[in-house]
Amino acid sequence: MTALKFFAWATLLAPLAGAVLISLVGRRLPGRGSGYVGTGALALSFAAAIGTLVKLQGLGEEQRQVVAVAWDYARTAGVDAQLSLLIDPLSVFMILVVSGVSALIHAYSISYLDSDAGYVRFFGYLNYFVFSMLLLVLAGNFLVLIIGWAFVGAASYMLISFWYRRETATRAGIKAFVINVLGDVGLVLGTFFIFKHVGTVDFLTTFEKAKTAFEPGSADLTAGCILLLVGAFAKSAQIPLHTWLPDAMEGPTPVSALIHAATMVTAGVYLIARMHPLFELAPSAADVGAIVGCLTLLVAGTIAIAQTDLKRVIAYSTMSQIGYMIMAVSAGAYAAGLFHLMTHAFFKALLFMAAGSVIAAMAGQQDLDKMGGFKRAMPFTFGCMCIGGLALAGIPPFSGFFSKDEILLLIGDRGGWYWILYAAGYVGAFLTGVYTFRMIFRAFYGEPVREARELEDGHLHHAEVHTNPATGEIEDTEVGFPGPEHHIAERELSMKFAMSALAVLATVGGFLQIPKVTHVIDHFLEPTFHDSALYERHPSDGLLAFGLVLGAVCGLAGIAVAYYVWVKNPGTSERVRLRLAPLYRLFVNKWYFDELIDALVVRPARWFGNFAQQTFERVVVNGVLVGGSTGIVRSGSSAVRAAQTGFLRYYAALLLLGTLGVVFYFLVAA
Amino acid sequence: MKLDLSIMLFIPLAFGVIGLFVPERAAAKVALLSTFLVAAYAVLYVVDFNSSSGALQHVTDETWIAELGIHYKLGLDGLNLFLVLLTGILWFACTLWAGFQEWEKPRYFYLHLGIAETAVLGALLAQDLALFVVFFDLMLVPFFFLTGIWGGAKRVQATMKLVIYTLVGSLLMLTAAVATGVLAAAGSADLSFAFSDLAQHPLASSSQEWIFLFFAAAFLVKMPAFPLHGWMPDGYRNMPLPVLALFSAVLSKVAAYGFLRICLPLFPDATQHFQTLMLLLALASIIYGSAMAFTTTEARLVLGYSSVAQLGFITLGIFALNSQGAQGAILQAFNHGLVVAPAFFIVALLADRSGGSEDIRDMGGIATRAPVLATLFLIVTFATLAMPGSSNFAGEFLILLGVFQSKIAIAIIASTGVVLAAVYALRLFIVTMHNRTGPRVESRELGVRDGLVLVPLVLAILAIALYPQFALKRSEPTVTGGTPTLALKATP
Amino acid sequence: MDIGWYLAVSALIFTIGAGGVLTRRSPLVILLCLELMLNAANLALIAFSRMHGNADGQIFAIIVMVVAACEVTIGLGIIVAMHRRRLPIDVDEMRELQG
Repeated sequence: MTALKFFAWATLLAPLAGAVLISLVGRRLPGRGSGYVGTGALALSFAAAIGTLVKLQGLGEEQRQVVAVAWDYARTAGVDAQLSLLIDPLSVFMILVVSGVSALIHAYSISYLDSDAGYVRFFGYLNYFVFSMLLLVLAGNFLVLIIGWAFVGAASYMLISFWYRRETATRAGIKAFVINVLGDVGLVLGTFFIFKHVGTVDFLTTFEKAKTAFEPGSADLTAGCILLLVGAFAKSAQIPLHTWLPDAMEGPTPVSALIHAATMVTAGVYLIARMHPLFELAPSAADVGAIVGCLTLLVAGTIAIAQTDLKRVIAYSTMSQIGYMIMAVSAGAYAAGLFHLMTHAFFKALLFMAAGSVIAAMAGQQDLDKMGGFKRAMPFTFGCMCIGGLALAGIPPFSGFFSKDEILLLIGDRGGWYWILYAAGYVGAFLTGVYTFRMIFRAFYGEPVREARELEDGHLHHAEVHTNPATGEIEDTEVGFPGPEHHIAERELSMKFAMSALAVLATVGGFLQIPKVTHVIDHFLEPTFHDSALYERHPSDGLLAFGLVLGAVCGLAGIAVAYYVWVKNPGTSERVRLRLAPLYRLFVNKWYFDELIDALVVRPARWFGNFAQQTFERVVVNGVLVGGSTGIVRSGSSAVRAAQTGFLRYYAALLLLGTLGVVFYFLVAA
Repeated sequence: MKLDLSIMLFIPLAFGVIGLFVPERAAAKVALLSTFLVAAYAVLYVVDFNSSSGALQHVTDETWIAELGIHYKLGLDGLNLFLVLLTGILWFACTLWAGFQEWEKPRYFYLHLGIAETAVLGALLAQDLALFVVFFDLMLVPFFFLTGIWGGAKRVQATMKLVIYTLVGSLLMLTAAVATGVLAAAGSADLSFAFSDLAQHPLASSSQEWIFLFFAAAFLVKMPAFPLHGWMPDGYRNMPLPVLALFSAVLSKVAAYGFLRICLPLFPDATQHFQTLMLLLALASIIYGSAMAFTTTEARLVLGYSSVAQLGFITLGIFALNSQGAQGAILQAFNHGLVVAPAFFIVALLADRSGGSEDIRDMGGIATRAPVLATLFLIVTFATLAMPGSSNFAGEFLILLGVFQSKIAIAIIASTGVVLAAVYALRLFIVTMHNRTGPRVESRELGVRDGLVLVPLVLAILAIALYPQFALKRSEPTVTGGTPTLALKATP
Repeated sequence: MDIGWYLAVSALIFTIGAGGVLTRRSPLVILLCLELMLNAANLALIAFSRMHGNADGQIFAIIVMVVAACEVTIGLGIIVAMHRRRLPIDVDEMRELQG
């Protein structure tokens, strides 16, 4: 095994080893032991990822696609599935982001979850989650990809319903899981469509053969790619399969950071980038992706403006940002989409960590209506939140500015109807500014609430009786949440460390790819996309300059509006809400997607189940089939039974009569 | 190494009879010894199996009833190897489980379990149609007693339904088997029921068709498949759990195996002719079983209906009529047995903890006090819903791929069954393990004895999940090349 | 002597036995009557055997006697067992076979 392969396997297996170790001996470790083990495993994984990077860069540009095979998985009947990893710039890029950001999130969790009764379990799950994501991005064939894909779904289920005594949490968990399974099925069927023509599940062979196996515009390929998109949409929370994402806020805050920043939701973006040779052969499927991404970014942006749950606002912002990425990779702006994926990982993790700190100070309360004035009590958290917010809103020179603009630039460059997407992207940028700073202003500005005042006096507020914010039900603290103490960034070193590191990355991360100045990511990813027709494009300087200015202006305008509405004239939002009541209702009810899916899918399924249970099974199966066949047997047997009197002499007489009958017959016959 | 199949075949029966003459307390130990021996034999056969050959191995061929051309012919190949292993493992596990409980008349209980094992092994190993029919029908006898004597409250009614349904099926099968032999011999001189002989004299397609339907009826009842599952709810409700675990895990597979061993090679025309019908029935089983599984509140029936759905998948794979489907079906038969038996065991443990009730509304919230049990159950749940990464997924992937190649629409509809499986399996896990603790629930961790049964099974699930190729490579030569005429090819 | 006489006697005894089985309620008497019927058959067998000059019939008769002895032993055993359990010694009272 070469050093490259060794490092790749080590990256993948370190978190798995951590998960196994923690679940086996975690309970015996003292104090924060399992937290350190988990974080250590991730640090190891990140180090191995860097090793992979170094070794990969040591190879010539044409050789930077290495397949590492462990053993045959299902190699039979024409299927050639092995347990194989594909190590190329794209997967290395992904493992660096995933393991790096996850390591920081682990570090944050060491103290954040300290007083939770499920501390050990948490780190076991968390490590498993990262392992799953690494498996997903390192997969060398469709089958392993699907396995990683489903493992991520399962891990997210376990973490979302981490506080499993809450019925809201278990329901959110099953929702996330089922929608993810739907995505898995999409992926499986998509694989079938592609397999049918290329006869292999291996990525590189598939891409090689696809060029000759499919005619241009082949219906099977388009169907296959659209089914792959179903998988991507489910995982990346794109319309209409996004409803699980806001509900997933039931999990602990570091989980949200992990799901939204480093893992899971970015899987869809990765998938499309990975499958780019197929999508470029099926342009209509790629267009579907671009359009859905665009719709999602707008819809999510509008919903985020109306939400009052701190974490849900950030969750919808994720949806919206993922919309940008999906749009980018579907439209052929691969490097830009992945660049945004990376910067988004930095600032979104940072935002969630800051939000976690505020939520801890609020003793688990997530409602923005009940927050306010934390600026003085939590200066560090406030600073981090602002850096994250500025990066998210795309204000120069923060990282989001460069990545978002590059996406829109390349989309605009394609011309035609892509201009609509281009325009929508800037509308989305404006919305982003508004909702991000609405959230920041409402949490940190204004009159300090009781919790903020107590914190200023040096005390942390603890609620006497914890209730579930969603239902008002009294919490079961036996399972964990919330522990007796709450940990905020101002007081915990490990949280401070993780947040500082991310704040720096969120600030400077964009410098990797400054237009006309640096092209680090472009060059690095080149070997993966060497066969792409859309990769090397050089938009005009005018469009570039226009886009940069417009992006900055949109973001700033959004912040200005937020400042005017929520800080300068606090009554404004009330007035706007009354003026635009129908629109507000649409946004606050999340465009009624939950209700729509409930009416179209859940209720018919339940109706069918109940019909089967109460009507069909009783009437047809039990009544006609069972009743009919047993009825025949029963009437037949009762007729026979009548002859059985039980009198011995009656039987003897029958016997005799029978014999006489036989004798008589023979006599007559003779 | 010379391993005689007959020894393995008759060990359980012989030990069952021996068990009648030992003290009551020792009966379980005798049974345990015998099932252990069989399991050891089965493992040896897997180790000894020549995976590059598709032909029968370890063949025993004696003339049994010369006048009727019935042979006592046993053999192992890729189709039955892993089902034999499954039988060996699960019989041992379930006997161990039963051994931890008190039974009335234990000597007879274990005798019946032994007879049942011999019958199942016989049906799996038989390479002669008449011998197969004998063993297949013999399977019913011990289960009749096991349900009728040691069953639950409504055992008489349940036994009645079970017996009537399966007897009707068996009679049809007997008729069909006799007809097969006689009609096949009409073309040649000698009457013979050996599969290899029958395959050389294919019947006219018109007679193939009705014979196929008769066999199909018997197998579909045993599985059970929609709409012939009418005996299942009552039967499942009333069987003692260790017996039920065996019934659901092993006996249903014998029926699926029957399709592969008998219907496909001996009645190829009829199989083609009824392919769509069988696929539709399988599809209906999947959808209907899943829908029932997520509405019923009895834990046993959730598993029961999920088995209907899973057996639907296996049937689907068989009638894809290509090697991917068949490989998937064989793997899935093994997987499902390996998963459903521990699931029933967990249901028993859950019922213990909720005051004896098996209604899932009375359960809940025991994960806190029983984390090990919860973890094991979670693994079993994920395997049940065929999460990618489990061997069940590898099976379903191949099955759906096979069907996709032959009937694309059916594959797409069937894949909704995967989503439904996620709903019902996870629902069962959540309402028993998570949420608030039920009013009468007493949370307790897994005992050492329970662990002794459960942990090895879960480890087996994990092992096969990591390396399903272990099974696939052994069955491939038979499926693609081998014995009589099961020469299915992948349709790329 | 003509075989007819033997057969007439045999038929007579058989009829007496059958009549007894059908009309009596005591299992003891029924057993006795059964014996009568069996021996009637034996008589016929031996008569035919003699007529044909062939020993087969006599062997048959001996086997029948063995079977009869077994049957009487079991039958009496059952009656004694019933008596011990203080069940009524009356065939009409024993009708467990009623469907």
